[in-house]
Amino acid sequence: MIFASKTPLGPGEARSIKRRRRYVIYLAFSSVVGMIAGFAAGYFDHGDGNLLAGDWDLLRLPPALSVLIAIMLLAGFLAIPLYGFRLADDYQREHGLVSYAGGFLAVMAGFPTWTALHAGGFVPPPHAFGIFAIGFVSMSLSYLYARWRL
Amino acid sequence: MKNRLKVLRAERDWSQAELAGRLDVSRQAVNAIETGKHDPSLPLAFRIARLFDMTIEDIFDDGESA
Repeated sequence: MIFASKTPLGPGEARSIKRRRRYVIYLAFSSVVGMIAGFAAGYFDHGDGNLLAGDWDLLRLPPALSVLIAIMLLAGFLAIPLYGFRLADDYQREHGLVSYAGGFLAVMAGFPTWTALHAGGFVPPPHAFGIFAIGFVSMSLSYLYARWRL
Repeated sequence: MKNRLKVLRAERDWSQAELAGRLDVSRQAVNAIETGKHDPSLPLAFRIARLFDMTIEDIFDDGESA
């Protein structure tokens, strides 16, 4: 037993390890759901659509697969994060709330700003995936900020 | 907010992970409270006080007490 602990674990440490393991499983499961949904959407898309360009009409997925991907996306962006809030303690929940607030504010500010710039001829018209990307990136950056500062 | 959590933990020879497990929070939360980066919620402050058999005021100091 090369990696055996020299001192026996206290009851608190054992609970901490269990909590940490549960969190790692949660993160791994979330990642797998996200990767499968993303891979399936990209791999099985038969159309010429492009999310970045916003040409939705050209996206083509088999109907059954589209329902499956939709369910996975709902799980990944709704059910799993809500479950994560139940697992989190006060401190982690604060990080999560800062992160979601950052994403929300970026979307609220991003759409009208993008629209105004489009009206002035600076950028292409706003589209849903662009707004989603602004929200997602801002949420991720806000989370990193919260981890760093709080 | 200042607190005596690190001292109280050291007196019992507990690691941050040990204290975190006893409080049912993450080790990062214990570290953040000890360093004053994070103020615990009222329910957690009560749990901490009960664990050390003290009052909340004995552990936490908001600088307002006489």
